[in-house]
Amino acid sequence: MSEDQTVKGEEMETSEVPVTDTQETATVIEHADLVDDHDDHGDHHSSLGVSNMKLAMWLFLGSECLLFAALISTYLLSKANFITELVAGNPTVVASMQKFKDFAPEKYAEMLEKQSVEPIFDIPFTSASSFILLMSSLTMVLSHKAISNGDYRNTRVWLAATAFLGSIFLAGQVYEFSIFFSEGITFNGSLFGSAFYTLTGFHGIHVTGGVIMLLALLILSLRGKLQRDRAETVELVGLYWHFVDIVWVLIFTIVYLIP
Amino acid sequence: MSSSEHHAHPTEKFYWIIFALLAVITALEVAWSYIGLEGPSLVIPLVVMMVVKFLLVGGAFMHLYHDGKALGGKTFTWVFAAGLVLAMVVFLIVFAAFEFNI
Repeated sequence: MSEDQTVKGEEMETSEVPVTDTQETATVIEHADLVDDHDDHGDHHSSLGVSNMKLAMWLFLGSECLLFAALISTYLLSKANFITELVAGNPTVVASMQKFKDFAPEKYAEMLEKQSVEPIFDIPFTSASSFILLMSSLTMVLSHKAISNGDYRNTRVWLAATAFLGSIFLAGQVYEFSIFFSEGITFNGSLFGSAFYTLTGFHGIHVTGGVIMLLALLILSLRGKLQRDRAETVELVGLYWHFVDIVWVLIFTIVYLIP
Repeated sequence: MSSSEHHAHPTEKFYWIIFALLAVITALEVAWSYIGLEGPSLVIPLVVMMVVKFLLVGGAFMHLYHDGKALGGKTFTWVFAAGLVLAMVVFLIVFAAFEFNI
């Protein structure tokens, strides 16, 4: 018996194991209207019983957690140090914000009064951006759902929608950066600027990578090379995309909402 | 066919419900940040809402919840959780290093 046949045999055995957890079965039946059965073809399973590709993607995302943890930590420390020195009147830090002070004296005064960088941000604008990114996660998961069902037209529609929403988010970030830059908050100008642009810039680079992957999938689909047996490819890109969304959930709260 | 190849996936309705929840929580977050609270009364609810959003996206959109049930284990959840825990350790070490001048 070949190795391939052996693996298939093991999989048959696995699928024939009866469900003994009656409580779990009852839960599944209870939520039957929210769940349907479908077949994901093309998965390449390891001896762990899970897809190698999916496992690799999850390991990659796990490592990405470390990257963003380091960036968020750096941002929080830099911000705290920056605002402390600014309020204390450190000449170097005060000088680094001189252009911002001239451009937006009310915001600068509010920063000192609140001892926070929060007045710099445009929360309603960023909230709209966050909503757009959340919506893109929905369209992403719907594209995976569509290809799993063999619905190629909707797969393309949702992939295009996700790429479009991601692009809108990026455009918003570029706009935000340009506003900050015109107000004198530059990458080299202050500790806060360096940490802020590094954190949000890295996230933006990840979104850009995601948009490129989505467009690649869209082109593959238009050429008829993205069939149901490659649904896992869409799922993998989806995992990456949702991770980028999750990171923004953290950044939005930690950077923008918490003073 | 393996259990992982033929497992239950959520319906579109489920995804729309999750999205609606996320939208509502985001609106609540923004509203909460505007009502003028300070200190823990501002930060703690914001962090709780952030964690709920994190779990909703991870559990529903990234299929951690359904994959965990269908595969009879939580391999992906543990892999991701390991990254998260390490990330939090990094976070704490960096803060401790600065706080205690290590």
